[in-house]
This record gives sequence, structure tokens and C-alpha cells, in this order.
Amino acid sequence: MIEYILLSLRNLSQQKTRAFLTLLGVIIGITAIVAMISIGEGMKYSLEKQLKTLGSDKILVFSTYTYGAKGKELTDEDARLIEDIVGVEISSPLVSVVAPTKFRGEEKLATIWALEPAKSRRTFAGVSGYELMQGRWLRKGDKYKIAIGYKIHDDFYDRKVNLGNTVEIRGKKFQVVGIFEKTGDADSDSAIYADIDQIREIFGMGNRVTMIIVRTKEGYDVEEVAKKIENVLEKSHKEKDFQVFTPKQVVEQVGKALAVVQIVFGGIASVSLLVGAIGIANTMLMNVIERTREIGIMKATGATNKRIIKIFLAEAGAIGMVGGGIGVAFGYIISKIINKAADKYLGEGILVTKVSLELAVFALLFSLIVGIISGIYPAKKASELDPVVALRS
Amino acid sequence: MNEIIELKGVTKIYKMDKVLVPALRGINLKIRKGEFVSIMGPSGSGKTTLMNLIGCLDRPTEGEIYIANKNIAKLGDDELAKLRREKIGFVFQQFNLIPRLTALENVELPMWFAGLSKKKRRERAIELLKLVGLEKRIHHKPAELSGGERQRVSIARALANNPEIILADEPTGNLDTKTGKEIMEILKDLNKQGKTIVLVTHDETFAKEAERIIKIRDGRLLND
Repeated sequence: MIEYILLSLRNLSQQKTRAFLTLLGVIIGITAIVAMISIGEGMKYSLEKQLKTLGSDKILVFSTYTYGAKGKELTDEDARLIEDIVGVEISSPLVSVVAPTKFRGEEKLATIWALEPAKSRRTFAGVSGYELMQGRWLRKGDKYKIAIGYKIHDDFYDRKVNLGNTVEIRGKKFQVVGIFEKTGDADSDSAIYADIDQIREIFGMGNRVTMIIVRTKEGYDVEEVAKKIENVLEKSHKEKDFQVFTPKQVVEQVGKALAVVQIVFGGIASVSLLVGAIGIANTMLMNVIERTREIGIMKATGATNKRIIKIFLAEAGAIGMVGGGIGVAFGYIISKIINKAADKYLGEGILVTKVSLELAVFALLFSLIVGIISGIYPAKKASELDPVVALRS
Repeated sequence: MNEIIELKGVTKIYKMDKVLVPALRGINLKIRKGEFVSIMGPSGSGKTTLMNLIGCLDRPTEGEIYIANKNIAKLGDDELAKLRREKIGFVFQQFNLIPRLTALENVELPMWFAGLSKKKRRERAIELLKLVGLEKRIHHKPAELSGGERQRVSIARALANNPEIILADEPTGNLDTKTGKEIMEILKDLNKQGKTIVLVTHDETFAKEAERIIKIRDGRLLND
């Protein structure tokens, strides 16, 4: 077997340009496959991590109301309604605003998550990542106090924000009383946490809320509770101008995004692999024609038809595998680039792509098989050559 | 039975487009084991066709050909390949070495086809290349060798699986007289060691080296 491989590699190295052009299709195809699977794995991984951060017992309620359209925004009243539903442990309203902030003279837009201190603390109790690094959580009755995510403390502003420092939000001075540990989730890490009533007062929001985070009681089915929330809100709003998300639905949403990635990359991969396969078949046919005399020599010196088939299949397989190897390398590079880009634009650790050993081996085997399949017809052609005619060529 | 090659009423007709071209018409020929036979004839006489048939590269249209007591007319492709591998060694005018392989690897090739281990192949190939006086050029590729050297490699290759018959098709045709003589000496030595040699040539002086000359013209044997 080793002999076949050595012989085929030697044959390949004779025509580097042709071999490379032949390989392009396989290279692109395998690159796409490797990139696709590694991104898919990365998305799955980050999804699992986010679910862990949020907790699987949480239900999120958003308003789908947009200005000028029908429907209502969510309010404190809705949160109260939800809290009365059987199976709901706590219903915590949350306001999210992007607001101008100022720290030591530096002005920057920041996301503010405003919550009811007592409720939110219970909502997030036990959720990984929401541990305080320094200071304390907000308390009911705190006047102009905030807790900050790790990134706000660390490098959001030119200078570090520490406990006791003052950050201005829309001109009002707030004192930092707590700093969270790094959660790895970019949104949580770069948020400022404040009291919901104060923020609504400053921004004139009345009793409107952006989102309601619901924690289900232990022993209750999250999906069922979500259904009940939907029914109660729909009755109260008289129309469905909101959306209820459960961890399961989030999984489905990400699954849909994943499917899009897979369709795009899968399409690229299958088209280029098909082109690659045709390319290999074409190159091998040319090789058969060019090496007709050689085939005659091999037959004259005692090679059986089967032997000739094996030699050419080995060569086609080797072309496929070399292309696959380069494809794995490119796929790895693309996966790393996407990882870097995701770190930069989505936040560190949000999308961690990975090319596993299994994936690399699978890609190599796959390209080998593509090569061999493409080689079947040319190899058969070669084996069927009449030795007398072949020797004369 | 002493005959290693026997042809009975052998006819070979080629079909070119729609025209049937007879290359051999009713050849009867016996060659005994250990003979040195020259086949002579002008081009188009059918000597190459005869050579191909004896070499098991082709099957007759009619008649029977026995090579080492096997009727090749009835054998399949793979059985013919086996016969070529075990009983016949070819020496061609064009040397027919594989250009990408070294002298050593070219000689190893028939042994690879015969299923010999790498080690055995290597040992025997070196031994054979020594026999033809090329021990210092074993790692050279054909393009790096002179014509005479190439023909020596091809003789070493022909001997690889220790065949009983050596078929030499104009082995001196591409060589100068001196080198041609050297090659003829090697063939004569092999004959002395018991190999049956069938030499196709149109060079009278070389043909005369053989103990028996077969003349062929228009697909028929003239005299024997």
C-alpha cells in the first residue's frame, strides 16, 4: 500500500501546477466544510454558555410594540400580572437604555440595565457569572447608586472605574457600589446596572419596561409556565404585541441561524467539491492519456488490470487528500479569523470556533473518498488499454 | 515436451476501420527451451505481431499458441499478465523505462507486480544491476543514463522474475555498433545460462549470432 502512495505522490510532484489547479475545487470545498462545522460548533458552544449564564429556568418577555403601530408596551402592571401566575417564582421588570455617560470628563454611550434591586437579585441568584467582585448589589431605596459590569470597571473608559467613583448618566451623578466578576458575555460585562425607578424618572419613561425576566418555581415546566404567561398577557393586552422566550426557544432561534450558516457553507462546499471531483477526474484522464505508454510498459512487465486500477485510484485519492489537507489548513485559518472577528465585534468569548482532531480526520477521509470516486472512471480506462496499442503510443 | 513456445496455425487479422488487415497467416513454429532464435523480416512483415503474440501481449485470431504449455488463446487478461510476469522478460528497442523511476525502481517494478517484499525486491534488483554492470548507477533516472546503460537496465528488468524466455525486440536498434555488441554479448551470456532468447532484428550480423534464424515476410515464415 505504501508503494502506491509513494508512487502516486511522485507522480503528483511531477506536475505541480496541474495538480494545484486540480486541487482548487477540493481545497475550497473542504475549507468551506471545516469552516462551517467549526463555526457551528462554536455557535453551539456559546449558546450553551449563554444558557448557563441565563439559567434554564428563566423566561424572557419582550414587547413587540413599535412606535406608530398598534399595541402596547410592557409595564409594571404586566410584571405584576405574571407574578400571580402559578409556577412563577419571581417576575422582574427591566429597563434597558443606551444613554450618554461621563466619567472623569470622558463622554461615552453606555447600555444601562435598570432593575428592581430586590427582585433582580433574587432573579439572578445562583446564576453563574453574576457574582460580585467588589462591593455590593443595589438595595431598595439606594439613591443614585449603580453596580457595573467588569468591562465598565476595566477598560470601557480610558481610566478604570473603581468602587466609590462617580459616573454621570444623562447629567446625574451616580456612585459605584458594586463591581461584577467577568461573565464572558459582552453585553453583561459592559452594562451599568441601576435602579429602575430612578432611570425611568430621569428618562421620563413612566411605568414602561423593556423586558420582564421571569424565574419559574422549581418543579414547574418552563414551557407550560411560558404558555400561561402568554395567555394572561394576551387577555390583558387584547392582542399579541409581545413575545415570550424560553431557553428552548432560544435554542431553536440559534438553531435557525445555524441552519442558514450550514446552508450557505454547505452549498459552497458541495458545489466546489463537485467541481473538484470533476477536476480530479479530468486530470486523471489526461494522466491516463499521457501515460499510455507507461501503462503499456507496466502491463508488459506483468501488471494485472486490477493493479493498474489500484495505481490510478491511489493517485486520485492522493490528489483528493492533498487538497483535503490544504483545505483543513485553510479552514482552520478561516475559523481562527472568524474567532478573532467575533471577539472584536461581538465580544470576547461569544463565538469560540474550534477545529477538532475528529473534524480534521473526517475532512481528510472525505477528500480521500472524493478523490477515489473521481478516479474510478479514469482508472478503469487505464486498465482497459490494450498493451500492444499502449506500447506503440 | 521440450518446446517452450509452440504456434499452431496462427493467424492474426487486424481490423482497421472497416478493412481487415491480415498480419500473420497460418504460422507454425516451435522453439525449444534454451534456444537462441532470431526473427528477421522487413517492416510490415508481421514480425512485431509475432513478437506480441509470443510475448502474451495479444491473442491470435485463429490457431493455438502454447507458452510453457499454456494455450494463451484461451486465457483471460489477468492470466496473460501472470504469464508475462513469470515466464517472459521484454527488452524493447525504445528501452521503455518509466522516466520518473530510478534504475533500481524500474527493475523492482515486475517484482512489485509479482508481490515480492520490498526487501527481497531491492536485494534482487541490486544483484541484477550488478550483473549488467550498472551497480554505480542504480539511483539514476533513465534520462541520466546513456542508451547502452538504459538497455542494460531494461535487461535487468527483464530478468527480474527469473523468466524462461527473453523477448528482445530490436534491442540494438537505438544503439551504436559497439554498445549494440555489448548488449548482444549479455544476451548470449543469458542464453548460455539456459534462457530461451527470441531476438527480433533486421541487422543481419546480429541475427547471425543466433543458432537459428527465422525469416518472415507478408505474414508467413519463409525458411527455418
